[in-house]
Amino acid sequence: MSDALSERLAKYLATKLNAPDLTVHDLARIPGGASRETYRFRARHGGTERKLILRRDPPASLIETERSTEYRAYEAFHKLGLPVPEPIALELGCEALERPFFIMAEIENAFVGSILAPDPYGAHRAKIGQQFFSILGRIAGADPKTLGISDFEGASAPDQCWKHEVERWEKVIEEDEGEPQPIARAAVRWLKRNPPPPAQKISVVHGDYRSGNFLYDANGDIRAILDWEMAHLGDPLEDLAWAIDPLWAHHDPSHPAGTLARGDAIKVWEQASGLKAEAKALAWWEMFASLKGCAIWISAAHEYATGRNDDPVNAFSGWYCLAYHNKVLADRLGTLA
Amino acid sequence: MKPDAQDILNKSADQLMGQLAPALNAQYSQGAAAVMALLMKFAGKEYERGADIRAAENADMRALFAEIAPRVGDKALRRRLEEAASSRDASLTISALNTANYKLRHTLIAVQVWTEDNGTREDQQRIWTVLKASADRRIVSLF
Repeated sequence: MSDALSERLAKYLATKLNAPDLTVHDLARIPGGASRETYRFRARHGGTERKLILRRDPPASLIETERSTEYRAYEAFHKLGLPVPEPIALELGCEALERPFFIMAEIENAFVGSILAPDPYGAHRAKIGQQFFSILGRIAGADPKTLGISDFEGASAPDQCWKHEVERWEKVIEEDEGEPQPIARAAVRWLKRNPPPPAQKISVVHGDYRSGNFLYDANGDIRAILDWEMAHLGDPLEDLAWAIDPLWAHHDPSHPAGTLARGDAIKVWEQASGLKAEAKALAWWEMFASLKGCAIWISAAHEYATGRNDDPVNAFSGWYCLAYHNKVLADRLGTLA
Repeated sequence: MKPDAQDILNKSADQLMGQLAPALNAQYSQGAAAVMALLMKFAGKEYERGADIRAAENADMRALFAEIAPRVGDKALRRRLEEAASSRDASLTISALNTANYKLRHTLIAVQVWTEDNGTREDQQRIWTVLKASADRRIVSLF
């Protein structure tokens, strides 16, 4: 990895942490999604060593989000005691490393479940599922004001959450579609014609809470919920519907996230959140989840096709994930017609 | 022409995944190479089926428009449907099929919007039959 980047990072951290003798070692890029460049490195100073992660904006970001959102979400939920990496530093300027970035603690000896694996959690699937849906319930039940993130982007009134999100993702489709999308367009119209009931409360919505976006260890303990960059305020059912979307079910939609049976997963979420997942409302948000997926994959394909971000994951999303969600939507909407 | 493009892409993907990616010493590079190998597999399948999918989709949409057009009260839309129904694919290259496909899909969106407000339930279901067939054909299998 570039010595120049290591040196610039060391210089920044030495000032930021008031540690003039700080040095950076073993800087290496690691997989971490297409929307941020992710690097692992070690920072040494005062006879100690810390294993850290750098998340830097790419030249073009997949989904344009407020840069401080992910970092502030880590700060808020770390204080609340949820398993998230400890945030270390946020830099919004471009002077230090050419692009905005943040630094957080590395979670060691932990794994990510590949969304393509048929059974990534094996014998730990029930234990992981219990934690996965319980943590999501705690996020849903938390008060954004108490957390200090009530200024996050999103809807401010419970009856506007659905509209805010549909319009947000419809705009992404309009801006990025490289070819006409009749199924996604039909989904947008259906969602607008059949609005859900108002949200039970305004919650922090993680925005991408799913299998593959958390770290777990060999004992089946979830060590960190990752990738909060799409966090916003909204209806807590949005996250639940995304978490149980069939794309993240490891080829078995009856066991969302490759873990618990669907009914059990929803019960765990309800108990942890103190909220209800009313069937009709959840069905609307599930339809929305697949539409949101389409929008994200259309955007990924656009980034790749236009050369703004040539991470091959974007091409994979544009082919595999978009075709998958188009089929989910066509099956669901076709049945309702 | 031998070897087939699909054969070349499959074997190259297998070599990339099985031999080259593990030899890379950076974790990010290994991951990216594995995804690229998967994309090569997808591209091999697309080479085999791409023209067939598009030709079938275009034929489905033209048949749908010919069937629905007489029941569409909007004169301009009806004329657009009739013209689309009688159009033909200029060639069997993917780019030519795509050009026709995108134009037909725009028309499909327009007639679906009209049908949702003015058409019969049967016509709405007929449109969804075409869309479901399209979604089924385009699913990308991992295996």
